[in-house]
Amino acid sequence: MNIDNCLEAVKNCRFCFMCRHLSAVGNVTFTEADTPRIRAAVAYGVLMHPEWLSNPEYIDMFYRADLSRNCAHHCVNHYDENALVIAARTDIVEKGFAPAAVKALRDELVSSESWQTAGSGDVLYFIDPYTAEAKIDGVFEAVMKKAGKKYATVRGGCIGRALKVLGFADDAKQALEKFAAVVRGTGAKTLVVSNPAAYEMLKNDAPKMGVELSVTVMHTSEYFLTLKLSAAKAAGKLYYLESDYLRNYNDLPFPHELLKKIGAEEQHFGADRDWLGVPDQQESFTCGEGAVVLPKLYPDLVKKLAAYIEKQADDPAADRIVTASPYTKLCLTKYTSLKVETLEEAVLKAL
Amino acid sequence: MLVQKNSYMYEMIRTELTDAIGAEYVCTGDDDRLGHSIDYYWIPEMWHDRGMETPKPDFIVRPGSAEDVAKVMKIANQYRIPVTPWGGGSGSQGGALPVYEGIILDMKRMNKIVKIDKTALTVTCQTGIIARHLEWQCNKQGVSTMHLPASIACATIGGFLAHRGTGVLSTKYGKIEDMVMSLEVVTPSGEIIRTLPVPRHASGPDLTMLFLGSEGTLGVITEVTLKIHPMPEAREFRAYVFPDFHTAMSAGAELMRSRLQPCAMRLYDETETLTYVSKVFGKTLDKGAYLVFGFDGRKDIVDLQMKYARQIMEDQFHGEDYGSQGGMDWWKNKYKFFYPGFMFHMPQAFGTLDTVATFSNIENVYWGMKNVVRENFPQARFIGHFSHWYEWGCMLYARFIFEEKDVPKDPREAAALYNRVWDLAIRAAIANGGVINEHHGVGLKLGRFMKDLYGSAMPVLEGIKKQLDPNNIMNPGKMGFKGI
Repeated sequence: MNIDNCLEAVKNCRFCFMCRHLSAVGNVTFTEADTPRIRAAVAYGVLMHPEWLSNPEYIDMFYRADLSRNCAHHCVNHYDENALVIAARTDIVEKGFAPAAVKALRDELVSSESWQTAGSGDVLYFIDPYTAEAKIDGVFEAVMKKAGKKYATVRGGCIGRALKVLGFADDAKQALEKFAAVVRGTGAKTLVVSNPAAYEMLKNDAPKMGVELSVTVMHTSEYFLTLKLSAAKAAGKLYYLESDYLRNYNDLPFPHELLKKIGAEEQHFGADRDWLGVPDQQESFTCGEGAVVLPKLYPDLVKKLAAYIEKQADDPAADRIVTASPYTKLCLTKYTSLKVETLEEAVLKAL
Repeated sequence: MLVQKNSYMYEMIRTELTDAIGAEYVCTGDDDRLGHSIDYYWIPEMWHDRGMETPKPDFIVRPGSAEDVAKVMKIANQYRIPVTPWGGGSGSQGGALPVYEGIILDMKRMNKIVKIDKTALTVTCQTGIIARHLEWQCNKQGVSTMHLPASIACATIGGFLAHRGTGVLSTKYGKIEDMVMSLEVVTPSGEIIRTLPVPRHASGPDLTMLFLGSEGTLGVITEVTLKIHPMPEAREFRAYVFPDFHTAMSAGAELMRSRLQPCAMRLYDETETLTYVSKVFGKTLDKGAYLVFGFDGRKDIVDLQMKYARQIMEDQFHGEDYGSQGGMDWWKNKYKFFYPGFMFHMPQAFGTLDTVATFSNIENVYWGMKNVVRENFPQARFIGHFSHWYEWGCMLYARFIFEEKDVPKDPREAAALYNRVWDLAIRAAIANGGVINEHHGVGLKLGRFMKDLYGSAMPVLEGIKKQLDPNNIMNPGKMGFKGI
């Protein structure tokens, strides 16, 4: 089974409580099962009693995990309970126990493929569905215009990250391979993405899956730092919501560097502190960004995650909140009254 | 439980619970039932590790208010269903395990902060809040509970109240019972009561203290007002290594007798210094016993107290000074000790023989337990540190560890071995003037020692239990009280 490859997390997380305060889903459902400890304990149970894998309540538990990976980021040994959950989902799929809603979502993702490219240049900008829905592609275009840079675009489907987190490993690889062929066909040297989930797939999953993209993958925050942009007015006070993928998966410094470059005065969102009491955004304030498609399967849960984030705001009606994730912006805009913008929008406003 | 899951009576009870507090807050899923069948006690962990079935609740109920709790109490009394309160589930004594199934009252939904009063310096909150979340919100307001235990990330405030928990700064700020102003409690019969609003009075016996440490056997603590403190201007630590733990203990005791006011102090015996402390710090401390202490508050007062403390450590007891960096190593890493990879972990068998005694008795307690473990279980390791210090004595955090090869594969044999260690070690501690225990509580693990500990006073405790909980629904079989 795939969870056999995650024994370190199984054995170390199953009786450990040290990250339970950071469990985004657990903090809104108040359910023991929505913590890394119990997910690992169930995974251990599956190893002992394989029939547990067909239990619909255990299956549901694995699928409602938010995959923020802040547990691993926080853990002194970085045990990857997140990878364990994805492995368990993959086992569920491979054994034929995937819930109907998950299978239907898989079919929708696979059939959504219709790759289209436009423009030309060394830089290729990937417009994934969340980026398109949040209209970040238009913002990117405006920033590039101010920078005097030409670029090409690619859009039209799922590159595999959503399929991967749902447990469809083969489908994920196939989707990525098709996308990679399109990317290679453009001859671009740099592939820029706004959606941190896409960044993870292209930067880290692709090499692990043996898929060759032949481009340098950059998140927009990193790419914008390479441009000659000068802020016309300082961005001023704002709250930045860390991205699960950029921080907990990749520990990228670029969003903060970019905010600094445009004159932002970052305020600490939330109340969380590190072990020494220094303000540090350890909680995941993303509405389940790591799980990519959580709203499709658990809309009520995402609503609760959004409400939890809104509650953390110092002044929900007035605070200026910035996220690197179009997904997070869409969820918070839909379910709260918070004023949320993406990094790209913050940059454009400052230019 | 008294009714079978596939019976219509089960559905009748579920309907009543659902009607009382809402369907969303009554759970019977296997995932959550498993989640409430294992806490931080070694026995259920081992049971799960061996693929055995752990006792699970029939219903997990998540109240949102004291009124919700009262409704559940009345239903439970009606049907004589056991009710076990559950906070973070991180107890090490099995106190929250649903050993007779029934209802788990998971308190985490009751996580509201009612008020932070910066005039009286108090915080009032519901007891299901995770301690770390409460501390964060207090810190944001420039104050602190100063209750910073290793379990702060997972345990609820209610859990600490129910087990008389303590934190790393206990030497100055006290245990949880020293921090409490007043409580709201739902009694087993479903009455909502409040104890007096201040802890110092002469208006009869202290009801607050009756419920603190009662481990959910006498009622459910639903709200608390706690003292809070300004964030200190300075917090400084310093470490010393002494040739042996006896000298270090003498130095630590002298520091307490001096009536200087350290916020924390830890003393690790030679074995723990060599193995555990070295591993966590990532540097070798290959001789002696490591002692660390600190002061906090106004910078000038911290400096002055540190000056006099150094005189005790250096001039009187000739400790080797590891400086403020040696002390800060501990403060920065104080929680690292409890992460997997540093903490003992399955498949090892391990336990914390938490005992408290006066300075006159504490070394005898240490040697009494150590000798009994060495003589009867030569395959086990015994290490100890002394972690909560008072004017009169301190707490011994002694641990025994069996490596995997020495732990029987059969779960019943493993449990028997484990319990035998406790039987001998705890009785050795009691014989030497120790009290079990200082802050982990009694639960299932130590219930059988309560009669040894309390002697002729035990019927008084049992009488209180019977008066408050005549149907014995509240956490039966724990704390030495009778089961079902």
